[in-house]
Amino acid sequence: MDEEPERAKRWEGGYERTWEVLKEDESGSLRASVEEILYQAKRKRVMETHGQVRLGMMRHLYVVIDCSRSMEDQDLKPNRLSSTLKVLHPPPTFSTSKGVGIITTKNKRAEKLTELAGNPKKHVAALRKAVDTVCAGEPSLYNALSLAVHTLKHMPGHTSREVLIVLSSLTTCDPSNIYELIKTLKSLKVRVSVIGLSAEVRVCTVLTRETGGFYHVILDESHFKELLMLHVKPPPASASSECSLIRMGFPQHCVASLSDQDAKPSFSMSQLDGDSPGLSLSGYFCPQCHAKYTELPVECKVCGLTLVSAPHLARSFHHLFPLQAFTESPVEQHTDRSCQGCQGRLKDRSVFSCPSCFSSFCMDCDLFIHDSLHCCPCCIHGPSVS
Amino acid sequence: MVMGNSHMAMTRTNKLAVIASHCQDSHFLYPMKNWGSSDGATDDASCSGDGKYELLSVTNNVIAEEMRNIMLKTEIKGNSTATLLAGSLAKALCYIHRVSKELAVGQEMKSRILVVKASEDCALQYMNFMNVIFAAQKQNILIDACVLDSDSGLLQQACDITGGLYLKIPQKVALAQYLLWVFLPDTEQRSQLVLPPPAHVDYRAACFCHQNLIEIGYVCSVCLSIFCKFSPICSTCQTAFKIQLPQMVKPKKKKLKQSI
Repeated sequence: MDEEPERAKRWEGGYERTWEVLKEDESGSLRASVEEILYQAKRKRVMETHGQVRLGMMRHLYVVIDCSRSMEDQDLKPNRLSSTLKVLHPPPTFSTSKGVGIITTKNKRAEKLTELAGNPKKHVAALRKAVDTVCAGEPSLYNALSLAVHTLKHMPGHTSREVLIVLSSLTTCDPSNIYELIKTLKSLKVRVSVIGLSAEVRVCTVLTRETGGFYHVILDESHFKELLMLHVKPPPASASSECSLIRMGFPQHCVASLSDQDAKPSFSMSQLDGDSPGLSLSGYFCPQCHAKYTELPVECKVCGLTLVSAPHLARSFHHLFPLQAFTESPVEQHTDRSCQGCQGRLKDRSVFSCPSCFSSFCMDCDLFIHDSLHCCPCCIHGPSVS
Repeated sequence: MVMGNSHMAMTRTNKLAVIASHCQDSHFLYPMKNWGSSDGATDDASCSGDGKYELLSVTNNVIAEEMRNIMLKTEIKGNSTATLLAGSLAKALCYIHRVSKELAVGQEMKSRILVVKASEDCALQYMNFMNVIFAAQKQNILIDACVLDSDSGLLQQACDITGGLYLKIPQKVALAQYLLWVFLPDTEQRSQLVLPPPAHVDYRAACFCHQNLIEIGYVCSVCLSIFCKFSPICSTCQTAFKIQLPQMVKPKKKKLKQSI
């Protein structure tokens, strides 16, 4: 056996008496202890921060969805495919991804559903249509990965190249040796992560370990959503990725009013893809070549300049300046019985205080602040906060 | 207050919360913190005799009382005139989050935030403000803005991103009228009305070195800071950049043609 870090298996005592963790309350329901377990898992996610590590902020990500026969299984309601598509909608904003693309694999082949694009609208439309696809045949990991790598290897060196595979089948049908492909992936610095829907498959373990990604198998649908959220955070950048200054354009949205004599309706460059409504008076003009586009972010087809708007970059700032985890303390120590965030009463067992301003929050506010808000409501009242 | 009353009168299940925001802190005017415990005591005092809807009269009294308290109690420290809008919005979002969790199963509540603003923007709050706006967008909460004095770029962006309305009032005397006309209707009803056109929002970024608005800039791939000129080292994260040198083209050796 090669030298692998074997996770503790059941017979080695790795999973000791899991039934003892669950306790019933007086009415016989397990709800309290299940909530406790979920809550601890969430807290762990908040506590785990990478510290001062350089993150790979610009990402090119391919999502591979398995459309094989095993996706028709009913263990996730209504069937695995619909459940996957439901979890992917609304599409989570992977932090400043310059592009996300979708690949599906079935019948031993792989095909690209959407190209790498920054704007999620196309992906949403494609996913909506994909609900009706017939799941048949076997997936092919080799074909899907080589299709992804075919595009990813041309991407510039300062971006991180990633593939996220949602695999439900326990088999894969490959035309040639997948271990050779794994070596190629490693040399091209592509990071592959897998979310398994059935059980742990050894090939995936090796794949993710060699390329530096994560491999998880889901327990249920909410766990699926949480695992997806795990990939939203930017991964630590590999040591050899180059850092460079990228030239970007920030176009203005120009709306010509109907009373302006000189305003001419014009086609936008997205017409070339064949799916835009036609002539329009308003749009974003590229600062370099004045080509018109209807939506951002986009890469200008004429001059190659990446066009973004400032909020797109601002969306990822909270990854660079993560909010500290709040300290937990029992509720008896606090005489003031209301939460500073939502003005409700503190009714849980523990109260969370921000380490810098010492204001207290209830558990719901704590989760909300760390998941969505990313800033403490009381700290930003200080006049010297930038 | 007229607008608050009419909002609550429109549908029985509508709820209202009012927050005052000044340069040091923000404070919930309504509902008050210890609402549950003191219900019995205030009921006698605020029972209005003129047949008004009970909840409305209680609301009016509470708001007026708290406003008076704030004006009397706070001492002004320092002389900045910018209010802490980001903090108040964050507290509002937490409140909405709590109230929507307390609903019975099957009920859903659509929320919106109306900001009535008379002061200027505070440039230091940009990042916190953007965080709050994105959180509101994720929760599908509209942010509307009614600006009395000077235009606010931050609020324009907030309204554009979340899908709300931005309005700068030309005549301050008619404040109540504008509030009732523009901001009272729901999202479904707004599509039926002809409302003021959306303002032109300037989404250009400001460069970190001069704070000028730029159209083409250079973005550091590590820390996402924006610069107007190329420089070999990023000033925020101190990363040295690889400069792309022009490729050396080796001159092709011409094969000598052998003359036959």
